Amino acid sequence: MTAPQPSATTVFYRNIRWLRFVDRFGRKGQTTLEYMGYLAELAGQVFVGAVTRPFYRFELLKQLDEIGVKSVSITGITAFSTGMVLALQTAYSLSAFGGKLFVGRVVALSLVRELGPVLTALMVGGRVGSGITAELGSMTVTEQVDALRSMAISPERRLVVPRVIATVLMMPVLTALADLLGILGGLGIAITELQMTVQDYLGSIWQQLQISDIMSGLGKSFFFGFEIAVIGCANGLRVEGGAASVGVATTRTVVLASICVLVSDFFLTKLFLAI
Amino acid sequence: MSTAAAAPLTPKPETARETIVEFKDVWKRYGNKEILAGVNLTISRGEVLCVLGPSGTGKSVTIRHINGLTQPDDGDIRVFDESVVGLSEEQLAPIRRRLAMLFQGGALFDSMNVEQNIAFPVVEHTDKPPEEVARIVAEKLSMVGLPGIQKKMPSELSGGMRKRVALARSIALEPEIILYDEPTTGLDPVSSEKIAQLIKDLNIRLKITSVVVTHDVVTARTVADRVAFLHQGRFQFIGTFSAAQRSTHPILQEYFRAMGFPCGTGVFPVVRENEQHG
Repeated sequence: MTAPQPSATTVFYRNIRWLRFVDRFGRKGQTTLEYMGYLAELAGQVFVGAVTRPFYRFELLKQLDEIGVKSVSITGITAFSTGMVLALQTAYSLSAFGGKLFVGRVVALSLVRELGPVLTALMVGGRVGSGITAELGSMTVTEQVDALRSMAISPERRLVVPRVIATVLMMPVLTALADLLGILGGLGIAITELQMTVQDYLGSIWQQLQISDIMSGLGKSFFFGFEIAVIGCANGLRVEGGAASVGVATTRTVVLASICVLVSDFFLTKLFLAI
Repeated sequence: MSTAAAAPLTPKPETARETIVEFKDVWKRYGNKEILAGVNLTISRGEVLCVLGPSGTGKSVTIRHINGLTQPDDGDIRVFDESVVGLSEEQLAPIRRRLAMLFQGGALFDSMNVEQNIAFPVVEHTDKPPEEVARIVAEKLSMVGLPGIQKKMPSELSGGMRKRVALARSIALEPEIILYDEPTTGLDPVSSEKIAQLIKDLNIRLKITSVVVTHDVVTARTVADRVAFLHQGRFQFIGTFSAAQRSTHPILQEYFRAMGFPCGTGVFPVVRENEQHG
């Protein structure tokens, strides 16, 4: 018994359903491409704004404080705890092989090359990226951004450039601080839990750690800072509607910034290993 | 087709004055909705034109075309005899410096106090010394009837005060045109009347051309030299307020009646209850 053939009407509607899917897929793709284009345009405006007048020095100083200084505690606590956990886990894993003396170098290398920049970027992405989007988003929905434009003042230069520069400048500083605090966290565990001496712990780090390790970690953090700030600003300036849209944009910033940091980390790691 | 050009109800201004803003067959669409469908309008230097109409008809969109915040899909807009269509932000800047806009919510910068808000455009666009900037701020605040509130933050101000501070910021650089987007919306009748009087005073004292978007007929009656009634993407009527009241245009009549103003009968408007005590 053969299956009944679908009627012409069924085929027609099935095709329409397919077309709808293609249409939806196409629209989604178009929106994504438009968004990426906007990100690229904004990044270009930041480059131009960073080297041409007018410069908003006071705004930059304010943002350095807002983005950098006020992120010290969150990144510091994260790195310190991570350093402690790393030391504990490493000692637990390596104790069977008598490798307790390697704890310092494992903690330091992990932090300096990878965990320091990435965890700092994720923390800054959560705190700063979302903060930027919420602030610019609120300014957009309350027409403050339009007010700037109507006064012949570029919101990109006035709002975006200082925030991006501040984030790019402060990320390596925060990362360096995170590296240091993480190593100190590991040292605390090494002394109290693993009965190591300060000399053993720091000595093993000193033997192993290369300047290239530190530079690759700090180098990555520049890129992470740029990604976070541009995404945060773009999402803030693109908010349409009311307060609910600001919330949605803020969430989107955290998600997108985190994904971008993690994905770009792979390529940046490859790049810095090749250099 | 009931474009402004086609409407027989459009009286010309009595004396020919310099045209400062001109809309030529302007079209604007958002998604499937046609907001402006071939709008034609001329605004003369020194006049107060009220763009009147129900909410959601595209009044704000219309005035946002003047300073280039919104670009049309088709047509041309000339401001100071220069087209603003298709210009980049940098190209628009010289025109925008001669314009100011009062936004519906005031759009004061939350992070700045009143003084910094009003001084903002002055500091950005001029090299005036701080004492001169402070003098300008104090003068503009006095003009809007709020002297001595320089150090207050926007969050400490009432809705009416915010709009007056925003107005002070708008006139800080002494623009040639001010665009008012719903200046009295959300205010009590007394505050509305104060703002409306202020708009009229500024027009008379500073000779500022004003384009006022409002759905409030009382405000239009107080400030307007001419009203332009926007409906279904076109100006259905452009003329004086009294001509609008005498108009037999059915939609305009309906709108005026809904707002408590008899229309098409030639009688004076009824006074609203809240005005009898004001």
